[in-house]
Amino acid sequence: MEILAQLVVSGIALGMIYAVIAFGYQLTFATSSTLNFGQGEALMLGALVGLTLVGHMSYWLMIPLVLVFGALQGVFVERIGVRPTLKTKSEFGWIMTTISLAIIFKNVAENIWGRDDLMFPSPLPTAPLQFFGIRVLPMEILVVVGALAIMLAVEIFNRKSIYGKAVVATSNDRDAAGLMGINTSMVITFSYALSSMIAAFAGVLIAPLTLTGATMGVVLGLKAFAVAIIGGLNSGMGVIVGGLILGIAETTTGYYLSTGYKDVPGLLLLLLVLAIKPAGMFGKSVIKKV
Amino acid sequence: MLQIQNLHAAYGKVEVLHGISVEVPKGKVVTLIGSNGAGKTTTMRAISGMIKPVSGSVTLNGKDITGITSDKIARAGLAHSPEGRRVFATLSVSDNLLLGAFPRLTFGRERGDVPGDLARVFELFPRLKERENQLAGTLSGGEQQMLAMGRALMLNPDVLLLDEPSMGLAPLLVKEVFRIISELKGRGITMLLVEQFAAAALDVADYGYVLENGRISVHGPAEQLQHDPAVKAAYLGAAH
Amino acid sequence: MSMLKKVSVVVAIAVAAMLPTVWPNPYYIHLMVIIGIYAILLLGLDIVVGYVGEVSLGHAALFGIGSYTAGVLNFQLGVPFLLAVPASIVVTAVFGALLALPALRVNGPYLAMVTLAFGTIIQILINEMDFLTNGPLGISLRKPVFFGHHINGTDYYYIVLFALVLTLFVVQRILKSHLGRAFEALRDSPIASDCMGVSVYGYKVYAFVLSAGIAGLAGSLFTYSEEYISPNTYNFELTILFLLAVIMGGRKTRTGPILGAIIIVMLPNVLSDIELFRTISTAIAVFMAVYSVYAVATGQRTPKQLALPLLVVIALAVSGYLMQDIAEQRLTIFGVMILFVVYYLPNGIMGFLRGIVLKVKPHWIHRHEEIHEHGDNQHVWSVPEHPVTEQGYLLEARNIIMQFGGLRALNEVNLKISKGSVHGLIGPNGSGKSTMMNVLTGIYKPTAGEIEFNGKLITGASPSSIAGEGIARTFQNVQLFGEMTAIENVLVGLHHSYRHNLLDVVFHTPRCRREKNAARVRAASLLKFVGLSDLANEEARNLPYGKQRLLEIARAMALNPSLLLLDEPAAGLTAPDIKELMGMISKIRDHGITVILIEHHMDVVMSICDTVTVLDFGQKIAEGTPATVQSDEKVIEAYLGGSAQAA
Repeated sequence: MEILAQLVVSGIALGMIYAVIAFGYQLTFATSSTLNFGQGEALMLGALVGLTLVGHMSYWLMIPLVLVFGALQGVFVERIGVRPTLKTKSEFGWIMTTISLAIIFKNVAENIWGRDDLMFPSPLPTAPLQFFGIRVLPMEILVVVGALAIMLAVEIFNRKSIYGKAVVATSNDRDAAGLMGINTSMVITFSYALSSMIAAFAGVLIAPLTLTGATMGVVLGLKAFAVAIIGGLNSGMGVIVGGLILGIAETTTGYYLSTGYKDVPGLLLLLLVLAIKPAGMFGKSVIKKV
Repeated sequence: MLQIQNLHAAYGKVEVLHGISVEVPKGKVVTLIGSNGAGKTTTMRAISGMIKPVSGSVTLNGKDITGITSDKIARAGLAHSPEGRRVFATLSVSDNLLLGAFPRLTFGRERGDVPGDLARVFELFPRLKERENQLAGTLSGGEQQMLAMGRALMLNPDVLLLDEPSMGLAPLLVKEVFRIISELKGRGITMLLVEQFAAAALDVADYGYVLENGRISVHGPAEQLQHDPAVKAAYLGAAH
Repeated sequence: MSMLKKVSVVVAIAVAAMLPTVWPNPYYIHLMVIIGIYAILLLGLDIVVGYVGEVSLGHAALFGIGSYTAGVLNFQLGVPFLLAVPASIVVTAVFGALLALPALRVNGPYLAMVTLAFGTIIQILINEMDFLTNGPLGISLRKPVFFGHHINGTDYYYIVLFALVLTLFVVQRILKSHLGRAFEALRDSPIASDCMGVSVYGYKVYAFVLSAGIAGLAGSLFTYSEEYISPNTYNFELTILFLLAVIMGGRKTRTGPILGAIIIVMLPNVLSDIELFRTISTAIAVFMAVYSVYAVATGQRTPKQLALPLLVVIALAVSGYLMQDIAEQRLTIFGVMILFVVYYLPNGIMGFLRGIVLKVKPHWIHRHEEIHEHGDNQHVWSVPEHPVTEQGYLLEARNIIMQFGGLRALNEVNLKISKGSVHGLIGPNGSGKSTMMNVLTGIYKPTAGEIEFNGKLITGASPSSIAGEGIARTFQNVQLFGEMTAIENVLVGLHHSYRHNLLDVVFHTPRCRREKNAARVRAASLLKFVGLSDLANEEARNLPYGKQRLLEIARAMALNPSLLLLDEPAAGLTAPDIKELMGMISKIRDHGITVILIEHHMDVVMSICDTVTVLDFGQKIAEGTPATVQSDEKVIEAYLGGSAQAA
């Protein structure tokens, strides 16, 4: 029983990272019906840039700089990979372009930081805390708090500020938003900037807990797909539940079956959700007026 | 105030507007009537930037706004209450209205008194005040129409485009909508009105243009058109 | 296929057969075997990416499944080559179905996401399940033995060549048949496709399963070619290479995949030889520069358009001189190549060449097969497949409510359509007529209420199954398959009449030929009925608006409907055309097809409708004969000052 509880707790931190990346997918999907297949690489670049910066400054000072870097990286992806394909007739050209950018980023990262995995210094003490016999790392708590904080910040922005409402309006009806004087192209660029910024933040959150290197983003981005679909590409809070479900499913599978199989639940859940309720557990199936 | 000259518009390869010219003087209500498929909504969309005209010009207050993006046109002072309402379903009624004033709250238009204008819109549409915090997608058709009109008014526009405001509304609500248009006219708001209910439109308008198959077939002061036998037969049906 | 094409294909095969004698070096023969194997896979991938327009990021994994099925069967059970290959095809196709069935249900990037996840998982599973697959150690086997003769590298070349030609033949047959037409239709207009009985979901899954089976074939051939397989081969990089090959070679062609295969097999070799890389990249840069000058000089392109691609190509060449080992950067190069192709060569190299030929010698390119069947009056009408059995009303819609959020578009509408009548549905804009139409044809599922057609409840059924029940429609905003010819559009409507299956298509059996010819005669007859015989081979998007509307009617009639729904058929027609249209509708009614007509042209409605239902504000406000309705006070008020419009 204790082991199960421990697995659940370990799954939560992992699940929150998935949730945060999936949240990023939702942001861009809502406004542009596209998402960044290189989201995992955005996380990876955030972590590696953070690693370089943390050699010269404290972890806490590094965070805002990584956020800025992430935002710029998002703008780059949108300008080069997404905006041109939205103009052409191709429905899925953006899938190919965001993937291409992802593999380019990965290759460039390998050149700059090498192919080996690196250690990211933890800003918090590494000694685990004990709660009712369950071991929790302070860093894991930071991950959960940080992930929730940034998602909450975006939700508040969407609800309270006029710019946030403009973003929601663009997701609802792009043409009508334009009639309001909202520059919808800029809204899309902004949503990509925000999405990559969040991924970069997730990168520096998870980096101290895992191995940091050019390949760290690939699998994370993939798992976050599953979470985004489980939670629903149109729903906000569903990703948190989806992330938790996947995180816990993975830690328990890894323990009870074998670590080799821990990636399987993600795919199975993905297929299951798409088969039963494609809009996601929390998604609303919207009847579009034809 | 608003001048459209020799406007051509197309959907893909098919040209739908073959050179129309319309003038909306300041403080007047001009209506564009015609049968379905004549091109009325296409005209509105070409003016407000939802589609890009093939050729011709659109001038607002002396400024050329032909073919620029719709957000720039809104900032220039042209508000469009589109066909089918198109309210922001997951935002509340008051958020929808505030977004109508987006250029005033951010940049592009003079700020003025936004809360005051909001109160005035609620005065005009008391039913919206009742549903202030309700999500716009849960409103009925008539309420959504009022919301779309109120939202357009929040821009404090130089010109207001109303595209088929009566569409899909119960007869009682249609009367209400036209009463409101009259009241707006009384306040001196410049309007271009597209309507399928030609008689009601000509009642409230100062001037009218008849659109047929993408061309202006006849135009004149509204009263003149109301008594024109050809217009009567074609668009005013049995009632008048 | 034209004579020229047939001859060039035979010559190409002959040349390919001679290659081992010209280059007997086993290394080159092996390279060509790999090219052949990849080409097979790419021909299948093109069906998904090029025709149906979905992105698959898991074809390397499917390739791996085919590979490992053959390998495992041999390793565990000693299954021989001739049984292993078909087994691989089947097993991989099953996996394809498992992926496609859930992923393609909803429109969106889901297939890409699912196949990407699948690709990662498969590699892991092959590694983990070592009791089956021998894990990271891999599986060794040897090429087969036929009649005591042990197949060597050169013999295997001929086996693969044979498989490639076979695949080319099968794929060509499929894509030129009604199946290929279905794939094109569902991309061109998904709504029209569904309403004509060609289920978008069904055919997308079909396309993916076909490509999976073909990938399985390629995989099993690969196992015997290499004689050793291990999990690392089937990785993401390979999937990227496959996609690069398919889009760079040229989609929707048979030569594109072969060209693509050549490129991706040679690419690693070029990248590992820095001198070769420098030569080739410089050559490409020079070619681009020359082309740019030519294009700007002839005014085909602006300098601004060409600046970026030229810069990229030059940068690539320069980087070759700056670096010693370019192989490390290969992923960057693949990425740049994909971006380049997506933006500047969307139809690939073959598409680009085709475009040039089209400009220089347009008559060399046959975009569509010309069909010169002559129709006649006999073949216009056909017995509906679901004969009308009900004695009472053909269609009954009871208490239909349609709600979009807070908007009630239809409020407890009751509609009863009598067999053999022309039933008009009128009302002001926004009264709910089109919504009703969409509910009846399955595009919307009603919030409440029931629809009974011919004694069967069809509430909530999909558009393609409703089409199958015998309800056909036209659209207010024309939904033709623009890139197909007029007669091809009608042939899509005749899809339901093709009873023959995939094997018939491949072998061009008499049954297949009979049904094809019958369909062509029928299609030609329908075109004649609506007066479009002369324009049969004209692309639908080039037809004048009025003719497009008539084509929609012909296409809908091809469905052999018992009920035909016409959505504003007279809109945009001139007065004489309207008269002809009315004649057509009368004839349709006279032949026993019931018609529901949405129209704004009052004289059309009044003269040919037997009954008229009036909607306003989502509710039925009047119903009866045209005369009754015209003098009804409520109707007059609803149309107050408005839509009682003459032509």
